[in-house]
Amino acid sequence: MTMVIEARDLSKTYGDVQAVNHVNLMVEKGALFGLLGPNGSGKTTMIKMLTGQTRPTGGTATVLGVDAVLDPVGVRARVGIIPEQETPPSFLTAQEYLEFVAAVRKIPGIEAKADWWFEFLDFADKKHVLCKDLSRGTRQKLMFTQAFIHEPELALIDEPLINFDPIMQDLVKDYLVAYVKKGKTIFISTHILEVAEEICSGFAILHKGSLLHTGPVAELTARGEHLPSYFLSLVRKDRHV
Amino acid sequence: MFELFIAMVKEEWRVHSTMFGSLSFALFPFMIFGIAFMGAFLVPLMHTTLPAGNITLIIHANYLMLGIMVGGFGLLGNEVMNRRFGQASLLAYSARSLPLSEKFIFFNFVVKDTVYYFFLWVFPFGLGYILASPFIGVPLSSALLLLLTLALAFLFGLCAVFFLSTIYARSRPLLWAVLAALVIGWGGLAAITHTNPALFFLPLLLNSAFSWGNLVISCAVLVLLFAIAILLFNPESVGSEKIYRDSFAPLLKRFSFLPNPPLAAKDTLDLYRSGSMIGQTIFSFILPLAVIWFFLSLLGPFFPPHGLLFIFAITTGIIASTMYTWVTMFDSFGPYACLPVAVSTLISSKLTTFSILQVIPAVFIAIVAILSGEAVYLVPAVVLGISVSFYAVGVMAWLCGLSPNVLVYDVKVLFVYLILVGIVLTVFTSVAFANPYFALSAVLLAIPTWLLVRKAKIRWDAVDPAGF
Repeated sequence: MTMVIEARDLSKTYGDVQAVNHVNLMVEKGALFGLLGPNGSGKTTMIKMLTGQTRPTGGTATVLGVDAVLDPVGVRARVGIIPEQETPPSFLTAQEYLEFVAAVRKIPGIEAKADWWFEFLDFADKKHVLCKDLSRGTRQKLMFTQAFIHEPELALIDEPLINFDPIMQDLVKDYLVAYVKKGKTIFISTHILEVAEEICSGFAILHKGSLLHTGPVAELTARGEHLPSYFLSLVRKDRHV
Repeated sequence: MFELFIAMVKEEWRVHSTMFGSLSFALFPFMIFGIAFMGAFLVPLMHTTLPAGNITLIIHANYLMLGIMVGGFGLLGNEVMNRRFGQASLLAYSARSLPLSEKFIFFNFVVKDTVYYFFLWVFPFGLGYILASPFIGVPLSSALLLLLTLALAFLFGLCAVFFLSTIYARSRPLLWAVLAALVIGWGGLAAITHTNPALFFLPLLLNSAFSWGNLVISCAVLVLLFAIAILLFNPESVGSEKIYRDSFAPLLKRFSFLPNPPLAAKDTLDLYRSGSMIGQTIFSFILPLAVIWFFLSLLGPFFPPHGLLFIFAITTGIIASTMYTWVTMFDSFGPYACLPVAVSTLISSKLTTFSILQVIPAVFIAIVAILSGEAVYLVPAVVLGISVSFYAVGVMAWLCGLSPNVLVYDVKVLFVYLILVGIVLTVFTSVAFANPYFALSAVLLAIPTWLLVRKAKIRWDAVDPAGF
């Protein structure tokens, strides 16, 4: 079994706030792994630490065999990332942004690849519009595209569906499921539990920075439980501890 | 109205204090006060070489400049939205969610900036001088008058930039026409009346001979400029879509000789499409330098031969170093966080773009050298100006990384910056005054510059990228 993500005793504090608290997490190759948790539970901080965007205050993180603390750029070179809130640069067009990403990542044949994505996510009519003038949904399409255009072994995506309409959500869910069938791995952070239950093979629940549970979704289903109700009962119980 | 104004002031304070701590930011006006208080004791010493009227002139020029700088910070059409309002959800952006017009919000925004920066920069300086006045034999009434006229000089700079930048946002030809009319009108009046043109600057006129009439005229001009700026303000309608042909790929090829071609191409498009290349060059570079040249030229007799050109070259170098803020203001590290780009790589790329922009000050100094009849010193003057610019940007990169626009208000950062740059300015001004060709020795600044940039990369790679 090959692990693509190995987090050991991972912690992060911001001043007095313990955002992530001694988390141990393994994600194996080929998984569509969901990191679940309420707002402020530490999901985004986890993704930031795994992709070298922020340094942990304790523990280690290895992604695709690369130490995320010692070589953050090396990690980002090998994975695809959708950050939670970031938008593409204001004064590039959608097309130019993808060319920029391709130039930084050294992706050959960007024109054909970009065209495929423009058609697939249905925003070809916006390819020459400045990013600052794009709607939130279209910006999200562009951020989704930049994360997958180089077909990374592992994609870490933070709330990727949040700005999409139901049709686009459906399309993207199907894409994610098909993507892992090709042997790739996806690490998705979300608080849309129904989506996680529908597409994820494994999941972890984070609350107040601590890991409450990790395991396969099938294990729950076999017990006759549903992910949303299990999640709620676990988090509510933890709130009272 | 008042609630929005107060909320905006609180917001501005919290933006700054959140970034580098309440105490550090709160100390900023005290530092300005200290500089003014201690500087006032030098005035009697300066009187031995420089007449009092000229010192007054220099101080007023500085305050006019300060107003121009503050006004120029963020009032250039598209940039208003993107630089000041785009990255964070500020009250100035609340026209979408509150029943308030954008003009009304903009009005409050401008008043807030005026009051806020007055108390941040102007008042502490004036207070420092007032409190020092009994010790240096200056009557309190003169010190109070100075505070009034300096405040007016600051407001003239601020309102002039608001006025010109809103015209610029409407029509560029109209801006050139207004500037041409101002230059011709002012110059013509000076020629006809055979009067020093600086004396037509109302705050200076008030300071030399106070009259209530002139005070009323000064205030009326300010109100007029301010009112026109508000009336002409035309925020870009939300949701408008601009279509551009693909310019990135051709630029990428053109910049293939640079260390980070995609980053340089992106910076170039940012500068060009935001209007900054032209807008900043006019409002943050040519306009301040024209004002400085105008005032410095009046001081010519008090400098050694050729001293004026070298003083101007050094000043141009310092202002040129702020071009680093032009290229760092468009994005935080955020948009790069999903790409294999280190903070040090970004600093390198911004410095590359900065280096390309140094053609502007180099040409500017060369033109001034030729026009002032000192073409023989063109090379040393250009070398001095550009070397100072690179050194100052090295200090800025080391102290502020990718956030010079923000961290300049951290009192510790500003203090270290002033010390490091001040020492170099003093040394090379003396060197250039001693012999104009000695100014060529400024190339030696390449060594500390290189060390500072190296240290900057190591320092900013070792910390979490700032979110601003």
